[in-house]
Amino acid sequence: MTQIIIQGLLLSGLYALIAMGFMLIFSIGRVLNLAYGAYLMVGGYVYFWVSQQLGLPQIIGIAAATMMGVIMGLLKHRLIVKPLKGDHVAVEISTLILAVVMQAGVVLVFGDASKILLPIVPGVTQIEGAAVTYNILVAAIISWIIIIGLYVFVRNTYTGRAMQAVSMDEKGAAISGIDPDRVNLITWGISGGLGAVGGVFFASYTQLSPTMWVGPLIISVAIVIVGGIGSIMGTLIVAHIIGFLEVIVVAKLAPELRGVFTMLLIIFVLVLRPQGLFGREEAH
Amino acid sequence: MPDIEIKKLCAFYGKAQALSDLDLSASEGEIIAIIGANGAGKSTLLDGIMGLVTCTGSVRVGGDEMLGKSSSATVAKGIGYAPERFNLFPYMSVKANLMVGAHTAREDVQTNLETVYRLFPRLAERKNQETATQSGGERQMVSLGRALMTSPSILLVDEPTIGLAPKVCLEISEILRRLSTEMGLTVVVTEQNANFALSLAERIYVLEGGKITSSGTADELTKDDALAQSYFGTKH
Ligand SMILES: Nc1ncnc2c1ncn2[C@@H]1O[C@H](COP(=O)(O)OP(=O)(O)OP(=O)(O)O)[C@@H](O)[C@H]1O
Ligand SMILES: [Mg+2]
Repeated sequence: MTQIIIQGLLLSGLYALIAMGFMLIFSIGRVLNLAYGAYLMVGGYVYFWVSQQLGLPQIIGIAAATMMGVIMGLLKHRLIVKPLKGDHVAVEISTLILAVVMQAGVVLVFGDASKILLPIVPGVTQIEGAAVTYNILVAAIISWIIIIGLYVFVRNTYTGRAMQAVSMDEKGAAISGIDPDRVNLITWGISGGLGAVGGVFFASYTQLSPTMWVGPLIISVAIVIVGGIGSIMGTLIVAHIIGFLEVIVVAKLAPELRGVFTMLLIIFVLVLRPQGLFGREEAH
Repeated sequence: MPDIEIKKLCAFYGKAQALSDLDLSASEGEIIAIIGANGAGKSTLLDGIMGLVTCTGSVRVGGDEMLGKSSSATVAKGIGYAPERFNLFPYMSVKANLMVGAHTAREDVQTNLETVYRLFPRLAERKNQETATQSGGERQMVSLGRALMTSPSILLVDEPTIGLAPKVCLEISEILRRLSTEMGLTVVVTEQNANFALSLAERIYVLEGGKITSSGTADELTKDDALAQSYFGTKH
């Protein structure tokens, strides 16, 4: 029981971090960035390359991964999202294509076989009698720090408030002197960085493989659909629902069913409450 | 030199033309009103000034051409806008809505916030309320307040009295007058409520089907029988 609670809490923290970047884009650009999982994958591989193949310090590996994520996000906005302005279906299809292309790129550079990332912090500890790896513990703590930082940023800075403003009313933002295009660009950058750093932890928790982008993408879609648009709190709460659901299913039913209930939850919420459990009715 | 001078303004929604060859100007500290029926083009005119609608012609502010500039550039140039549907941020507090308005005028944020709370004490009382739960009158105040947070020298207000009780209309009209007299703001108001416009504005333009059909002071317009009948509900 303690094992489930502790594992659930730690995994949920990581899931919340992963979903944040996806939620930001969905809230502000109103598009599902189906290449989001690929940010995580590339983040994981960049970290692997820098700290395991080049042997540089881990912190540099994490920084390089984050930087790469930011760059990918910025480029994607400039090269794909902005030119396709307003055409959400076209953006979503091209992001999905992009994810597949990036998968092929990873296979080309790193090969088909999955790779094991060494734990970022090795070792195991006991919390309340439950065995916990330092790796997931550290991942969860850093996730929480980043999420709190993001929350403070969004609520207390001009840029953060501009992001909220654009997500709630683009015209209202524009007449307040905000350039929605610039806010979008910044958001894509932040989203890319969040995805990539989440990917480092996710890969160290699971493994590195060219298809690893699918799992976290589904988790993100689920958390955002169930949690609703535009809410860091909603995302956080639903990340815990889904994290615990997975841990309980794996421990009590069968590991193979890990993602099934998450999917069922998505359908259930789509049918019963399309704006999500914590979502807001769209204005107008 | 007029503070804002519009010449031969045409506005388009795709191929449909909503304004044609519209001329209009206001000098510093002046209050002007544009009256017109539903669909006359009032909101289009104000949106056009803000760079939100495709336009041709000329919109000069303090001598500089603003047409073709982005909305954020227009705001930075000193034009504040309280639009018809407010376009507030519903799940942000009153205070946060006002702070978004401060995006381009950060150095003035404290004084502007004090001014807004002084003009609208109700907003100070309710600064933590989300605007989604506010009444129409309160939202109008937040909308005006947010526009004032941009440190404007020209304030555009689209139909401020729509759906408001007569008492609140009076309050709003009093505040617009104070903005012009105490703070020297140029105020451009659109209205369907012609009597409100008459009581507030020094000069009035009549907009019909996207064209200015007449203009003048309140006295001049009320002397015109046909106009008085259709807009002011009186006959001389
Ligand atoms: N987004 C739009 N797309 C196409 N046509 C539009 C659009 N907005 C307004 N119009 C048209 O432009 C004309 C002027 O509309 P506008 O909203 O400016 O009128 P208004 O004077 O503000 O009316 P109201 O008093 O109802 O607010 C109308 O014929 C309207 O149908
Ligand atoms: Mg209108």
